[in-house]
Amino acid sequence: MQAASSGIGYGLKYQARCISDVKADTDHTSFLAGTLSLKEENEVHLIRLSSSGTELFCEGLFSHPNEIWDLVSCPFDQRIFSTVYSNGETFGAAIWQIPELYGELNSPQLERITSLDTDSCKIKCILWWPSGRHDKLISINEENLYLWNLDVSKKTAQEEFMMIWQSSSTAFPYIQTKPQVQSQDSAGMLHKLSGGAWDPHDVSSVAATCESYLQFWDVRTMKKTISVECSHVCSVDYHPQKQHILVTAEHESGIHIWDLRKPKVPIQELPGHTHWTWTVKCNPEYDGMILSAGTNSTVNLWLASTNHEELTTERQVDSSARWVDPLLNTYSDYEDSIYGLTWSSREPWIFASLSYDGRVVVESVKPFIPQK
Amino acid sequence: MDTDEETPLDEKARRTRDLLASFYSPIPSESSNNPFSKHISPDDINSSSFQPDQYMKILARKSNLEGLLQKHVEMVAEIKNLDTDLQMLVYENYNKFICATDTIKRMKSNILGMEENMEQLLEKIMSVQSRSDSVNTSLCENREHIEKMHRTCNLLRKVQFIYDLPDRLGKCIKSEAYADAVRFYTGAMPIFKAYGDSSFQDCKRASEEAIAIIVKNLQGKVCSDSESMQTRAEAAVLLKQLNFPVDYLKTKLLEKLELSLTDVQFIPAVMKNDSPSTHEEAIHEFVEAIRAFRVIFPDSEKQLAKLAQDLITKHFLMIEGYVHTRISSEDLLGVLRVIWNDVLRMDEVLEEASLSDHSLEGTKDAVKLYIISAFSHLTHDISDHLLKVLKRGGAEDYSLEVALDASIKAVSDGGRKVLLDMHKILDDNLEIIDKLRELIIDWVQQGYQDFFRDLEELAASVSRESVRGYEYELSFVPGVISQKFRAAGEKFLQLHKEPREVHMFVDLFLQELKITNNEVKQILPQDLTKHRRADSNGSSASSRSNSFREEKEKLSRSNIQKGRSQQLLETHLAKLFKQKVEIFTKVEYTQESVLMNIVKLCLKSIQEYVRVQTFNRSGFQQIQLDIQFLRTPLKEVVEDEAVMDFLLDEILPSIDFPPSLFCEQVIVAAVERCLDPIPLELPILDRLIQAKLAQT
Repeated sequence: MQAASSGIGYGLKYQARCISDVKADTDHTSFLAGTLSLKEENEVHLIRLSSSGTELFCEGLFSHPNEIWDLVSCPFDQRIFSTVYSNGETFGAAIWQIPELYGELNSPQLERITSLDTDSCKIKCILWWPSGRHDKLISINEENLYLWNLDVSKKTAQEEFMMIWQSSSTAFPYIQTKPQVQSQDSAGMLHKLSGGAWDPHDVSSVAATCESYLQFWDVRTMKKTISVECSHVCSVDYHPQKQHILVTAEHESGIHIWDLRKPKVPIQELPGHTHWTWTVKCNPEYDGMILSAGTNSTVNLWLASTNHEELTTERQVDSSARWVDPLLNTYSDYEDSIYGLTWSSREPWIFASLSYDGRVVVESVKPFIPQK
Repeated sequence: MDTDEETPLDEKARRTRDLLASFYSPIPSESSNNPFSKHISPDDINSSSFQPDQYMKILARKSNLEGLLQKHVEMVAEIKNLDTDLQMLVYENYNKFICATDTIKRMKSNILGMEENMEQLLEKIMSVQSRSDSVNTSLCENREHIEKMHRTCNLLRKVQFIYDLPDRLGKCIKSEAYADAVRFYTGAMPIFKAYGDSSFQDCKRASEEAIAIIVKNLQGKVCSDSESMQTRAEAAVLLKQLNFPVDYLKTKLLEKLELSLTDVQFIPAVMKNDSPSTHEEAIHEFVEAIRAFRVIFPDSEKQLAKLAQDLITKHFLMIEGYVHTRISSEDLLGVLRVIWNDVLRMDEVLEEASLSDHSLEGTKDAVKLYIISAFSHLTHDISDHLLKVLKRGGAEDYSLEVALDASIKAVSDGGRKVLLDMHKILDDNLEIIDKLRELIIDWVQQGYQDFFRDLEELAASVSRESVRGYEYELSFVPGVISQKFRAAGEKFLQLHKEPREVHMFVDLFLQELKITNNEVKQILPQDLTKHRRADSNGSSASSRSNSFREEKEKLSRSNIQKGRSQQLLETHLAKLFKQKVEIFTKVEYTQESVLMNIVKLCLKSIQEYVRVQTFNRSGFQQIQLDIQFLRTPLKEVVEDEAVMDFLLDEILPSIDFPPSLFCEQVIVAAVERCLDPIPLELPILDRLIQAKLAQT
């Protein structure tokens, strides 16, 4: 099976859902993956792509107390990451640090820097400040968005990060000793938040997926700004270069590309997958290159036009003659649903995918990069 | 030496100045004296307080004999100098005095005799003035007389004219020279105004009577259609000159014209049956009236244009109403042609009204409306058609195929008819349509696009399956069903009691599936070749499959009860040996393939829902029960027409029947997501399933 594909494989011991690109590691192409096992002891794998680009090896293996539902590497420190975890009944979130001397220890323990403790609600994901070193974090649970102020101060004696949840503020009016409820949806149980993304172009804006809506929140005023209707939206990603452009994945209806200046109708629709489209990721470098993963055990690579004007003019020209299939390639070397998907920010032609059976596959999209 | 030389010179000059000053000004100014005077007051020879004795004493004491002698010499010289100076001054003054006296003498002699000359001159001027006055007064009388005579003459002439006026007017009436009459009358008007009540009473009355006749005649002329345009216009101008309210006349005439317009019948429906003569006549009259009006009242264009435009607008409104009543293209063309002819004729007399533009707009709207309404009628017809089918849907014999055929026929027939109609419109050589040709083509294209979009929506909403089935778009079915699971799935978590019965969502699922099954059967053909082959070895295969399945079920049940690590190992091992299952194979356009895929997608959705939940034992057992119950009816749905066996034996010989496989995967997912996966005892499971079966 390995021979049939160009991808490089790596096996986790248990089932898994989440994989994250280690953005802050500028020397290596690394990924963090967390397992999802209700009954076993869960693990976080630090996986590194060899410099030749032909092999994946385990750089670090750390035990994690609970099954991991969400994992994001800190954008400015490669040793820090956040997880959302569950013991089967309750959910929690925490910021972890990989221990300094893990290479010499047999079973190094992760250092828990802090927990993001909120109420009993089911926490869904953690969003880091979109780029650079910054002290703001957002956590999303089913009903609320929380804005956290992270005070990172290095103590010289112990080389340790101190994190204090402060009630002082520099940029935002609301920083809480105990985080305040930022938003409460009046519709209650019917509209549960399921995830979100932080706008890299306008850091005061956060998009949250909410059943059949895509909601936008202004973190300065703590108010909902606009709401875009799209059914069963489950994943959202901002275009890294173009402001106002974002991509959503919806369970049944595939992938939609939106221009938030015209939020009524998507500017483009892609068919998605034969079963649910689970997640969607914009390439950090190449405009219009989009990856999607689905529960039909495939990863699709799309090339979409994110330029609205271009699209409309194209439509006026004879559409059938110029129509190009936006689907560049389908990677089908998987045996279970794929929930984890990430581009490498260091080598933007590389992506890592994680199927439910714990298989990490790293592929290169180099052959499909459009020639300029 | 220098100083010695300067001092006497300075001193001399100063002394001279002081002397002059003392001569001319009564008070010798103190300031003119130098400041030293105070200090050297007694012995200063120049000061006023000079005391010769003291000076002598000082001098004698200070100087020796030689010095005294020298001083003496100096002084004598000085005195001499002073004397000559004084003499010269006196002489000069005397000289000046003599000069002045001479001048005064001469002046006196010159002025004598002048006064006499002046008096003479005055006398002469006075006499000239008196003479001129006398001449003036003697002429004045005559001049006044002449002027008076002239005025009287003028007056008399006017009086004569006024006395003659009635006669003249009468003559003018006789000869119909109304223009002259009006000129005379307006000329006499100021006099009548001033003296009409006294001296010229009779005269005024007589001429007013004459003028009244004239006005009447003129009015008659203006209004009469028999007179020539020229004379009518002239009459109108004359009436205006007589201060007759012409505007009133004009509005009256306009009203009349407008009234006559309401008689211009334009009933499109009648139009085609009736001979167009009545309408044409009316229009002809209107055109003539406009022509006359324009000549008579040259400033009335605006009102006329408005009138004409209103008429056109009214006609187009009627056409719009007419279009709504589903007319044929010939009818529309006929009506448009009539209007266009009208417009052309009106345009001849009223270029300013830009009637052709106006009517072009109107035609544009009308044609557009026609096109839109044609398409909306078409859509309406088709949706009616489909609705009828749907209503019948309650009955047993409703058939999607028939509905589809009928609607396709309706679509193609309707579309063709619309196209034909449009062609007719375009082929017609009506000028106005020619102008709109491009636009019309655009509209028709747009109309078709809209129509097909509407049709698509209609099709999507009315019969999703029938259209989409062809398009290989099946995921919507699981979509509907999975929405129902969503709510149901959430509830699993809250279960704390042991399952009592099969969950409601199973019923919903099966119900939905049955409907889909029914529809799919009507749309899609059976896979006949495969069917036949399956038939041949059907009986033996089915028994085999049953036993196979039972074994498999036993295996899975035992899996659940085994230890966790062992189970993990087993799944890993199983993965190694299992051939990769293409879960989502390409759907073929056969009943079997479509149904199979729907069932697969639904079960896959359930699996995904289960995976994001965590269950307690009761929740897990509920799922176990539901899935177990589902196995049989699912198989019935797909097993129908004996496809099942074929699937088992030929398409996927190495694996179990796919739905069963998916059922198992759901169970596996549930096991993975449950902390305490202890399944229901088999007898309890059977009992619950039997109870459910008995219910239905």
